[in-house]
Amino acid sequence: MARPAKKIVPLNSKPDEVAQSLYAKREKIYPREVHGLFAMWRTIGVVALLGIYYGLPWFRWEGRQAVLLDLPARKFYIFGLTFWPQDFFYFAVLLIIAALSLFFFTALAGRLWCGYACPQSVWTDVFLRIERWIEGDRLRQMTLDTAPWSARKILVKGAKHTVWVLFAAYTGFTFVGYFTPITGLTEKITAFALGPWETFWIIFYSLATYGNAGWLREQVCIYMCPYARFQGAMFDNDTLIISYDPARGELRGSRRKSDDYKAKGLGECIDCTMCVQVCPTGIDIRGGLQYECIACAACVDVCNQVMEKMDYPKGLIRYTTENAVQGNPSHLLRPRVLVYTVVLLGLFSLMGFGLSQRVPLELHAQRDRNTLYRETLDGLLENVYTLQIVNMDQKAHEYELSVSGINDMQLHKNRETITVPGGEVMEFPVWLRADPQGLRRRSTAITFEVRATDDATLIAREEARFLGPLTGR
Amino acid sequence: MQNQEIPRIQRIVAILWPSFLTAGVATVLFFTAFDPEILLQDTRFADLSRLGAYTIGFFLVWLLTASSCLLTCYFQRPCAFNARQGGQTP
Repeated sequence: MARPAKKIVPLNSKPDEVAQSLYAKREKIYPREVHGLFAMWRTIGVVALLGIYYGLPWFRWEGRQAVLLDLPARKFYIFGLTFWPQDFFYFAVLLIIAALSLFFFTALAGRLWCGYACPQSVWTDVFLRIERWIEGDRLRQMTLDTAPWSARKILVKGAKHTVWVLFAAYTGFTFVGYFTPITGLTEKITAFALGPWETFWIIFYSLATYGNAGWLREQVCIYMCPYARFQGAMFDNDTLIISYDPARGELRGSRRKSDDYKAKGLGECIDCTMCVQVCPTGIDIRGGLQYECIACAACVDVCNQVMEKMDYPKGLIRYTTENAVQGNPSHLLRPRVLVYTVVLLGLFSLMGFGLSQRVPLELHAQRDRNTLYRETLDGLLENVYTLQIVNMDQKAHEYELSVSGINDMQLHKNRETITVPGGEVMEFPVWLRADPQGLRRRSTAITFEVRATDDATLIAREEARFLGPLTGR
Repeated sequence: MQNQEIPRIQRIVAILWPSFLTAGVATVLFFTAFDPEILLQDTRFADLSRLGAYTIGFFLVWLLTASSCLLTCYFQRPCAFNARQGGQTP
C-alpha cells in the first residue's frame, strides 16, 4: 500500500514560532524526566565528570595535592610535574588541543560536548534532579508554580533553594580547592579563618553555579555560549545529528493503538508531544535541526518508549546524518575529519615531545650594572654577576657551575656547593676575572652553564657579556 | 525597532559575558608575564596578597572590557533611533 503524502521538513528549516517565542519573555521550561539508553549514558557522564571534579582535589601524590594550580605560589602541580609561568607554552598548546578536539568531535558526532560533557549541562542536570526530588515530577512542579503562595509552597521552595545553595557552595569550595591547597582550605573554614579573597571566590563561584544551573539553564546555551553559535560551521551532511524522520512520521496525528493509521493517511508520529516535554531547551525537534538543540538525546529515549508502546519500530527520532535522512550513504572518513585528525596528532606529538624534552632547570645571569668592570691588584679585569638558578624540579639538586667564552677565565663564588631545594629559586653573586691580554673586544660573549651533579640531563646555559676597557688591548 | 526584538537578558549577556571571557584571558596572560608581588613591591599595595592582586586585576580588566562592550552595544543602535529618542529630528 502506498504511503500517504509525505511532508518533508527540511533539516535547516527556519526557526519556527516556538523558537521565536524564546526571544520574547522567557517561559520556564519544565523538562519531563526521561529514562532510556541515552539517559543512562548521560547519567554515567554526570557521575564520572562530577566524581572527577569533586574528587580530584583530594587525591594526593607524593605527599602533595596531585592537581593543584597554586596561584598564590605561581606554580601548577600536575601529578609528578611542576609548571612555572615560564611553561606557558604548554598551556597554550593544551588550549589549542582542547579547541581542536571540540572541532573534531563536532564534525564527527555533532554536539556530543553539549549533551554529555559540558559543565552547564552536567550541573543543570544535577539541579533538575534536586528540583524533581523536592518538588516532584513535571506536573507537580507546574502546579506548584501556578498555585498561590502557601505555607507548603514556601516550605517546598525554601527546601529546594537551600539544597541548591548548599550544593553550589560545596561546588565553589571545591573550585577554590584547585587553586589553594584544599586541606588547608578546609582547616581555615572550620576555624573561621578563611582569607578575604578565598571567601570572595568561593561565594562568586557558588553564586555562578546557583544562577547558571538553577535559574538560567538553557538560556546559557542559547544566549551565552559562543560554541552554540558557531558549531553549525563544523557540521556537514555526514555529521551525527539528532533528527526526526519526517518521511516516517508525517502526517502526525493522534490515534488508537489498534487503528490502521496508514488507512487514515497518518504517519507514525502520534503527536503526543513527549519529545517537546522532555526537551531541556524547550524546542520541537520535529521542526528540524535547530541551534538550541544541545543533542542530549532525551527526545530519542522518550520517543523510542512511545514507539515501543505503539508497537511501531523504534527510531522515529534518532541519531542519524543528514545524508542518511535523505537516503544517501554516510561517510565517516572525510577530508575535514582527516585534517582535524592529522593536526590533532601533530599537536599531541608536539606536546609529548616538548614535555619529554623539558628541562626543569633555568639559569639567569645579570651583570652588575653599577660598575662596568674593575681591575684587581694582580692586573686582571673583574666583572660581577648575579646568578639565579631556578630549580623547577620537585626535589633538591646540587649543581656544578662553569663558564666559557674567554680563555683562562677565573670563576669565584661565595659558596662551596650550590644546592637548590625543589621548586625554589636561588640567587647569588659570582666574580669573573680575566686577563686583559686575552680580550679582543670591549664586550665579549660568555656562557654560564649549570649542570646537576646527580642528573646529566639537567643542564641550563645562559649567555652574558664580559666588559673590559674601551681601547681593548 | 531592531532593538526591541532583542530581550533584555540577551543585551545584558552581550555586555557582561564576552567581556568576562576576554577579561579572564587577559588576566591570565598579564599575570603569567608579570608577578604582582614584584609589580607592587615598591607601592603602598605591597601587602596585598597575590590572590588579592589577581582578583582586583581581573575585575579592573573586566570593567574595561565591559565598557568596551557597552559602547559597542550603544553604537550598534541605529542613529535615527537615537536621534528620535533624544527628541531631535534625524
